[in-house]
Amino acid sequence: MTTMTTMTRVTTATALMSAEARRLSSTRLWLWGLLGALATGGLVFLLAMVGPENFDPPMPGLATAAGTQMLLGMAGLLAFVPALLGTTAVTAEYRHQTITFTYLFAPRRGTVLAAKLSVYALAGLAYGVIVAVVAGAGLVVAASVHGVSLGLPTSDVVGFLVRLVAMMTVYTLLGVAFGALLRNQVTALVVLGGYFYMGETLLLLIPGVNAVYPFLPGGASAGLTGFTYVAQAVSQSGISTPHLLSAPLGALVLLGYVAVAAVLAFGTSLRRDVT
Amino acid sequence: MIRVRQLRKVFGTASSAVTAVEDLSFDVEPGAVTGFLGPNGAGKTTTLRMILGLVTPTAGTATIGERRYADLPNPSGTVGAVLDKSAFHPGRTCRDHLRVYARMGGYPDSRVAEVLDLVGATSYAHRQARGLSTGMRQRLNLATALLGDPRVLILDEPSNGLDPEGIAWLRRFLRDLAEQGRTVLVSSHVLSEAEQMVDHVVIISRGRLVTAGPLTEVTRHGTLEQTYLALTGAGATA
Ligand SMILES: Nc1ncnc2c1ncn2[C@@H]1O[C@H](COP(=O)(O)OP(=O)(O)OP(=O)(O)O)[C@@H](O)[C@H]1O
Ligand SMILES: [Mg+2]
Repeated sequence: MTTMTTMTRVTTATALMSAEARRLSSTRLWLWGLLGALATGGLVFLLAMVGPENFDPPMPGLATAAGTQMLLGMAGLLAFVPALLGTTAVTAEYRHQTITFTYLFAPRRGTVLAAKLSVYALAGLAYGVIVAVVAGAGLVVAASVHGVSLGLPTSDVVGFLVRLVAMMTVYTLLGVAFGALLRNQVTALVVLGGYFYMGETLLLLIPGVNAVYPFLPGGASAGLTGFTYVAQAVSQSGISTPHLLSAPLGALVLLGYVAVAAVLAFGTSLRRDVT
Repeated sequence: MIRVRQLRKVFGTASSAVTAVEDLSFDVEPGAVTGFLGPNGAGKTTTLRMILGLVTPTAGTATIGERRYADLPNPSGTVGAVLDKSAFHPGRTCRDHLRVYARMGGYPDSRVAEVLDLVGATSYAHRQARGLSTGMRQRLNLATALLGDPRVLILDEPSNGLDPEGIAWLRRFLRDLAEQGRTVLVSSHVLSEAEQMVDHVVIISRGRLVTAGPLTEVTRHGTLEQTYLALTGAGATA
């Protein structure tokens, strides 16, 4: 066996993060991420080109504040895509058993999860930036094609785009943390998707629960993006909805859910035997 | 070097509990190839996974140079392991697989080419894992284990899927490692092959130690196969 002449060991945290980045870039997952982000931004562009006033039923147009905000909110509804990608990244380790090598190289399992969360925070941020740039540019292009100006001042549009970036980042992390907790891609998907698209709406029907709605994941998401079908539907149904959290608070509450899921994963799933 | 003491593992809960390993103690010394033998389901894989910190023992301890695996300051630079299951992402190339773990262990990328050469996998390093034959996977497994140039090697059925040339190559390879003073623990149930490969044996059956010692001593009354069958009462399945 040859001897290694230069075995300079870098510090573990950087090594783990760098390994996770390589893990991400060496399968097609990053490509799906890129496509997902382009498609999400592209959808905003497409809908803006069609014009909300031409929807069925017609919606406020691009030249109104509500119309512009609604189009950006559409992108927020697609935050489950990066969540799914984050989940896939973690559950693939179990599915393909690479977790065995991973824990052999890094037996302190919590540090592996921490490295994944760090790398996917950056990946989710990149995803969000792509979405925001494509969606923002799409709105501007569509407005000029229609010969109108956007219904919101530029600073507000940028504000909504920044919220979108935060939303995508946090949802990527939610995906990673729940993937680590549930270890199975389909289970994680059903739990996350089921909750956001049904569970929380049902919860709100329980009297009193709507008081804590701003702090539930869906409510916090609505606070973050400043847009939600659920909040609108509920308010239309006559149930009073409490005021949503501000965007930064909404983001913090969502990060809280990430932390809770990660800590739960550390205490349960991460301790399981790898057989 | 490897020290196993009163190791016990019970899988599952009360109603469906399976005792895989029971009161198992043995030592594995450096400078020799130690064969870890036993019938199917004897608890070999479970024991190796406990030594490697992948499975938590119900009781007892397994240490490598006085430390539990998880407490090793540089685990992949101390112990290299090949386990029984394929553990590659199907869409990742062999080289990229090694590059991920080289990073994780903090080894330079030049080490990837070295281990590929060592196991004779350079010619297919660019291929995705999904298309690899069993023997190719086994070599990639071994390459991953060797990334950190470890002093201890723990291999679960490493000859699985290797052709006769591959087996002869593996035998020489493990022999060389042992002669360099490394500790080599290798499980197998192909006894004819083990007989040519190992210096020491640890034989278990139903989770318990049957016998351990130098091959020459254990087999002084017959071939390894005869001795093994007499000791484990496993029938002709091995
Ligand atoms: N995750 C698990 N859950 C429940 N039982 C398990 C698990 N892993 C192993 N076992 C049981 O533990 C016992 C020992 O299995 P193990 O895989 O360690 O045997 P082995 O000696 O490696 O066998 P083989 O030669 O077939 O590889 C078997 O009865 C097996 O069914
Ligand atoms: Mg086995």
